[in-house]
Amino acid sequence: MLTYLVRRVLIIIPTLFVTSALIFTVMSLSPSDYFTNLAAEMAAQGEKVDTGRIAFLKKEYGFDKPPVERYFLWVGGMLHGDFGYSFEYQLPVKDIVGDRVVLTMLLSFTTIVFTWLVAFPIGIYSATHQYSWGDYGLTTLGLLGLAIPHFLLALVFMYFANLWFGLSIGGLMDPRYFDKPMSWAKFVSVLSHLWIPVIIIGTAGTGSMIRAVRANLLEELQKQYVTTARAKGLHPFKVLMKYPFRMSLNFFISDIGSILPAIISGGELVAIVLSLQTTGPLLIRALQSQDMYLAGSFLMFLATLTVVGVLVSDVALAFLDPRIRMQGGATK
Amino acid sequence: MKVVLACLLALWFAAGLARADEGAGSAAAAPPETVPAAAAPVETPFFAAAVAKGKLPPVAERLPKDPRVVDLAAMKREVGVPGGAWRMLMGDQRDLRMMTIYSYARLVTLNDKLDFVPDILASLDNQDDKVFTLHLRDGHKWSDGQPFTAEDFRYYWDDVANDKRLSPSGPDPALLANGKPPKFEVIDPLTVRYTWADPNPGFLPALAAAQPLYIFMPAHYLKQFNPKYADKDKLAGLVKAAHVMDWGALHERRGRQYRPENPKLPTLEPWRNTTKPPAEEFIFERNPYFHRDDTAGHQLPYIDTVRMVLSTSSLIPAKTVSGEADLQARYLNFEDYTFLKGAERIHDFQTRLWEQGFGSYAAILPNLNCKDPDWRKLVRDVRFRRALSLGINRHDINQVIFFGLARESADTVLPQSPLYKPEYAAAYSNYDPAAANALLDAIGLDKRDKDGVRLMPDGRRLEVTVEGPGQDTTYGDIMELVTSDWAKLGIRAFSHTSHLDIFRQRILSGDTVLSIYQGIDNGVPTAEFEPLDLAPLRDSQYQWSGFGLNLESAGHQGIKIDMPEVQRLVDLYREWRRSETIADQRRIWGEMLSLYSQQVFSIGIVNGTQQPVVVSNRLHNVPEKALFSFEPGSYFGIYMPDTFWFDPPKS
Repeated sequence: MLTYLVRRVLIIIPTLFVTSALIFTVMSLSPSDYFTNLAAEMAAQGEKVDTGRIAFLKKEYGFDKPPVERYFLWVGGMLHGDFGYSFEYQLPVKDIVGDRVVLTMLLSFTTIVFTWLVAFPIGIYSATHQYSWGDYGLTTLGLLGLAIPHFLLALVFMYFANLWFGLSIGGLMDPRYFDKPMSWAKFVSVLSHLWIPVIIIGTAGTGSMIRAVRANLLEELQKQYVTTARAKGLHPFKVLMKYPFRMSLNFFISDIGSILPAIISGGELVAIVLSLQTTGPLLIRALQSQDMYLAGSFLMFLATLTVVGVLVSDVALAFLDPRIRMQGGATK
Repeated sequence: MKVVLACLLALWFAAGLARADEGAGSAAAAPPETVPAAAAPVETPFFAAAVAKGKLPPVAERLPKDPRVVDLAAMKREVGVPGGAWRMLMGDQRDLRMMTIYSYARLVTLNDKLDFVPDILASLDNQDDKVFTLHLRDGHKWSDGQPFTAEDFRYYWDDVANDKRLSPSGPDPALLANGKPPKFEVIDPLTVRYTWADPNPGFLPALAAAQPLYIFMPAHYLKQFNPKYADKDKLAGLVKAAHVMDWGALHERRGRQYRPENPKLPTLEPWRNTTKPPAEEFIFERNPYFHRDDTAGHQLPYIDTVRMVLSTSSLIPAKTVSGEADLQARYLNFEDYTFLKGAERIHDFQTRLWEQGFGSYAAILPNLNCKDPDWRKLVRDVRFRRALSLGINRHDINQVIFFGLARESADTVLPQSPLYKPEYAAAYSNYDPAAANALLDAIGLDKRDKDGVRLMPDGRRLEVTVEGPGQDTTYGDIMELVTSDWAKLGIRAFSHTSHLDIFRQRILSGDTVLSIYQGIDNGVPTAEFEPLDLAPLRDSQYQWSGFGLNLESAGHQGIKIDMPEVQRLVDLYREWRRSETIADQRRIWGEMLSLYSQQVFSIGIVNGTQQPVVVSNRLHNVPEKALFSFEPGSYFGIYMPDTFWFDPPKS
């Protein structure tokens, strides 16, 4: 088990190294860069950006150095916590992302909890009442949530929330609480805005989770040990919860790997439509304007979270499920 | 000879050609601008508490000794009440510069009749466009209370514009006449002088521009970042703390005046930023030392704070409709008009329509530098460009897309400009498919295939993609109609949109043959404006970006001009830069406009399109009808937002 763990941890290093090289290469491949992009946007309004100025800025940010050198500067910086400098915000990347991460995590945790709260009961019900009207009805509902594009739902919700409840359009709080320290009023304002993105992002997740819970549970329910337990007169609910349900949770733990990055990046598209102060729109904007280090460091962060998430879920699975642990041992 | 600048230029403008023949150098002393007697200054309620506590000097000491008195009655506006907050919606942090553009305090500004008037300056003497003497206002202070003096100009000239580290390519091109820098002199603490050997007619327009030429900087603040003045160890500490490479980078970042990101940077604008980025809302507070007041003795601006909320730009129309902005135009499009108008019943605002200042809302630009040799030959043939223009039914486009509210015109100046002549707008902008077909036949494109599409000399079908930037969906709608019009000429057109950056790259590399983009930027110039849009000067002019890049890079990059008509435009532009009289400038403008429209270098469709402007019903002094353009006018700037005021809240 220990060697397994060490090997898994060590393999992270080359994985991340390759990822960083890939990210940097793809972003350097673009024929233009942030500065020419900026010049284009300014020219669109009639503003002047002379070429001398652009050359000056490029030099200022080290763009006159060869890409290989810039790559190592970037990676080297990241190793000691310097994620580079954002051209657009004129600030170290750290300072920009920091504020938004908290709100993003709040949103994502709430969404995940919402998804579970809705999906598990429905999934269990569908599995135990397979092919009943309830199963069909709830499954249709779940699939509908999966099928309707997020951004469309977001627009509709936003419109009616403004019309009926007078909520400000978009955002995670009323504009007057922006950049204010946390207070009870601000918290209430956040809560009153939070439910919209939570429901919207949650619906899709709910749909797929219902199906997953249902399928896993159905498989277990047909197994002999369930029949045996029932035959021995155990209470049906206890049978369900104690054995097949726990078994069906495996998929759920292996899913942690994808949940971790989703917590940070969750629902970019919805976040853009709803103008949320989360990290998603920041990343998209950085990619659009070719704000290289902001986008690059962000992607690296997501990559790291994915790798760590996969590791955590693998380890957790090994701990939780003796079969996986035993198999691991047997191969040695 | 000493003349008050405002009067001189007003005279130029009004008297027109008759006066102009005398030459600019012989300007007679004009009567001084009639300034109404200002009442004794009244303390602003916003600062009353701070003044009472002694934290801020009283208003009489904060204003310069000779403030700029804004005569609102003469402007047919009302004297207002100080207070209130102006909420505006913006797309991202880069839009911070919109505050500098909107608030429009400049050394010299344009008034709403497009005359130059001294603003931050008390007065300016101009001798033959060669010697400019700038007089500052006595007692004028930066927003932190430090005096604004000749030292701030000297610091910029000696320690910024001519510093190898801060300006490696030397002073700004607008400060060069015939390639040579001026002699700079400090006459006394309130007077500076710039002397050029050759005329520099571009100097004043550059000072008054929406994106101004800054020739001063808050020296007392910035010296702490300059090793010439600062303590070495302290500066090294600052550089380290800011995570930048050296002092130059720090100076550059802390000293940006156009994009006011640094709340500590003193300013002369009516509002100063108080929020350190990154933020979702930027709060601007009134500058306690602003140099304008009204006739009743109120220090301007009337509005206490400006709250700029950042949001996804595509959500801004929806947010505006829900009453989240008090004065908003940016990110609102004509297609939002009915939506905005409909919300007037629910929310307390009005939607006004202002005229946009582009030479053309959308123009089709034939890329004279495209790579494909056959197409290049075609688009360089003036008959082909004329045929394309004659083949567009502008009337239908106007009716279908702009409800008939736009003006069908070639890409040229608007009727509001004193340089306008109807023949520029009418040049090849009538719908005449027969003439267009005849022109195309005459070029040798007389063979057609079975679909009726003309064939190029090498047998290819005459098929072309018109590329556009993705941000404006109206371009796509216009292209739908143009495509069907051109089909009648035997030209198959397709339209394609891409991200602005890629759009631009493809034009620069010559892959694009035709593009659709806005027409000339400044549709309402006077002869004193540089004719920047009519000659290839920059690579962002998409009909000849190769030529533009060539001139911009002094011949190192791009494509050398090999078309006599284009070379003529460049020569005329250079002549304007050397011109000494307003008559010359007007003549040059006329020649350039005439050549540009006759040659159809860009195919204009409609101009005078409408910009929706949402104005809160509580906000006063905002014009009902006006021109909305970046240049001239700085969008709202020319209408002086510091004189806009809110109804006080009902108690």
